[in-house]
Amino acid sequence: MKFGKRLKRQIDETLPGWRDKYLSYKELKKLVRLISAAPPMLSGSLEYGKAEAEFVCLLNNEIEKFNLFFMEQEEDFIIRHKELQQRIQRVIDIWGPNGIRSSETDYKEEMGKIRKDIVDFHGEMVLLENYSNINYTGLAKILKKYDKRTGGLLRLPFIQKVLQQPFFTTDLVSKLVKECESTIDAVFPIVEEESNRGEREAVTVAGEGIFRNTVAALLTMQEIRNGSSTYSHFSLPPLHLPDSDFIQSIQLNSPIPIL
Amino acid sequence: MEARPALSIQRSGAKQLSNLGASGALSSSLPVLPTSLEETYPKLPESQQVSLERELMTRPLAMHATPLPSSSGVVGHMFSSSSGFSTDLHYSSVSLHEKHSRKTPFISQSSTNGASLPLTHSSHSGMLQSPASNHFTKENNNASWCTDSLPGFLDFPVNTPVQNNQIESSSCSGVMASEDFGKRNDWQEWADQLITDDDTLNTNWNELLVDANVSDLEPKMEYQVPKISSNFPAHQPKVHPQIPAQSGEICTVVTSSSSANSAPGKPRMRWTPELHEAFVDAVNKLGGGERATPKGVLKLMKVEGLTIYHVKSHLQKYRTARYRPESSEGSSEKKSTPMEEMSSLDLKTGIEITEALRLQMEVQKRLHEQLEIQRKLQLRIEEQGRYLQMMFEKQCNSGTDKLKASSSTLESPSALSMDALQNSPDKSELEASQADSGKTGSDPVTASSTLEINLRNLGEKQKAPETEASEKLEPDVCVSSSQPTKRAREDEAAKSSAEPALN
Repeated sequence: MKFGKRLKRQIDETLPGWRDKYLSYKELKKLVRLISAAPPMLSGSLEYGKAEAEFVCLLNNEIEKFNLFFMEQEEDFIIRHKELQQRIQRVIDIWGPNGIRSSETDYKEEMGKIRKDIVDFHGEMVLLENYSNINYTGLAKILKKYDKRTGGLLRLPFIQKVLQQPFFTTDLVSKLVKECESTIDAVFPIVEEESNRGEREAVTVAGEGIFRNTVAALLTMQEIRNGSSTYSHFSLPPLHLPDSDFIQSIQLNSPIPIL
Repeated sequence: MEARPALSIQRSGAKQLSNLGASGALSSSLPVLPTSLEETYPKLPESQQVSLERELMTRPLAMHATPLPSSSGVVGHMFSSSSGFSTDLHYSSVSLHEKHSRKTPFISQSSTNGASLPLTHSSHSGMLQSPASNHFTKENNNASWCTDSLPGFLDFPVNTPVQNNQIESSSCSGVMASEDFGKRNDWQEWADQLITDDDTLNTNWNELLVDANVSDLEPKMEYQVPKISSNFPAHQPKVHPQIPAQSGEICTVVTSSSSANSAPGKPRMRWTPELHEAFVDAVNKLGGGERATPKGVLKLMKVEGLTIYHVKSHLQKYRTARYRPESSEGSSEKKSTPMEEMSSLDLKTGIEITEALRLQMEVQKRLHEQLEIQRKLQLRIEEQGRYLQMMFEKQCNSGTDKLKASSSTLESPSALSMDALQNSPDKSELEASQADSGKTGSDPVTASSTLEINLRNLGEKQKAPETEASEKLEPDVCVSSSQPTKRAREDEAAKSSAEPALN
């Protein structure tokens, strides 16, 4: 399958507010086609420079779009992370074992509410990392296509810039994800009976929740890594998920979310 | 060379604008612009390098100008107000556009990396970043001239010229700041007035947008609406006298475009948990999220480079995040868990919900893990590509006789540089960007021949470290055995594609 199709599917699966924030791969591809369909141009000639500038300009706009969206989300995550931590602390202070109104039932009930929120929060952050990565991949793909079709040499220098864009620097989000994981582990320890519950049956995920989205992202990632028609030293090796059976067992029952 | 006259005209144009006092002078000087610029336009490829240098010189000026948080905003005003009376001005900015926008990422790169402080970083990168979102509101005014002036422009989204418009205004602010230093005091005053005007307009827009997304309009609107109505009439009269010779029609242009300009025109910044901590402290000192005002928070935070815009939009987000879960914790909490998700997972008991969440978490963790691994791999691969390019340029400079020697030493330095990347990615990337900003301006012909030889000579050596690296990194990654042949083909492809360039 072509990258464009995979990206499109990924966009279809994404959270509603995110759809127009992905790379406009189709537009870019169209432009590359137009540029390469034109009569062969001398590198460094007038038309060539102009066409390339147009292409670069469109790419820059896309990058601005990513940065803007990414940083907005990141800002939001910073706030929500802090709020969640405080919320948990409040519950512990009030209903926890040493709380002012220590009560196991109340504690469990409140934590149950938080659990859903924190798992979803974790999911959103991971999906933003995925957003970052898929857009980077898209940029790399379109640049490769451009170089291949026009004989240009844009990819290498351009991608070096991309690597330093805010949208590609996911260190903070990654850190928050990890903190989130350790919070979950600390606050919701695995109960023995739960972990012993044998093998899972196939699970079907519907709707357009974060869960569904994550599964779709994993599957897409695997597909993209499964090989390119134009393998090069920039290509990534195929991805082997340690327990791909498990992932595969989670089926996305309908590509079109039912609202 | 050709870029120089063009830019100096631009400068004088900007100067005129900054003096704005005489609108007669403005309109008489403008018609000169489009013709002269069109002359330079076809010669772009050559002039690009020059203009890059030129830009690099003006850009830092713009950076220095930003400490007055107002500067870029104000220039935005001047520009947009002038758009009311002269379309020629826009034409000029459009034809300059290629040079500007083309170089933008590179410039923003080198300057961004140079700054170690997160704050300064975001304040300049912001100037370049902001334009993108601009087009929503500005589209209408600009759509027509954009297509006219650039016949070869295919079917581009309308936002491209706008971006350049903004960038231009930011570079102008540098020019102005240096030239108008004496006037800075009353200029600042004026800026402040305009800024406050912006503020209200700005938040209105933002809040409307944010709220529409979040769909809890009512509580926000309650206190927003009175704010709009009280500030609007108060500021408008202040704005108008500042820009002389305005008809009523232009007034509307000014207000509408100023809100468009300033919203994204404010320097973007990247929030950090530390900064947010300081923010929360300030908010709490001021009596909580509902009572705290952006101005008060800004004063308490005392962070250099932070502007009222940043605080305002952050406070907005903070309120939304803080009060949404609180309100939904009660009755709407059950509603917020998507019905279809729950029912399809067939969850009836608490244990099953817990199990579902655990499963969700497991998948999310897996995705995170894989993304991290993939990212590291990608960074390494890119680093290697960059390294090869650098090696190659060195070889080109030192001559072919040294080629053999350096390629034999390739293996160890490449491993070294990979380690460096892991330890301090920013640092090594900084070097990359510095090296590249010079490189990209260089003649494509030499560059293409460079890469060709590069691939042919180093293709052999390169395989070894790459394989090693990826195996080290991730045990379950298997490096395709077809790699050597494929790469050889790639070399051929690079060679053949480079050939037309050489002829």
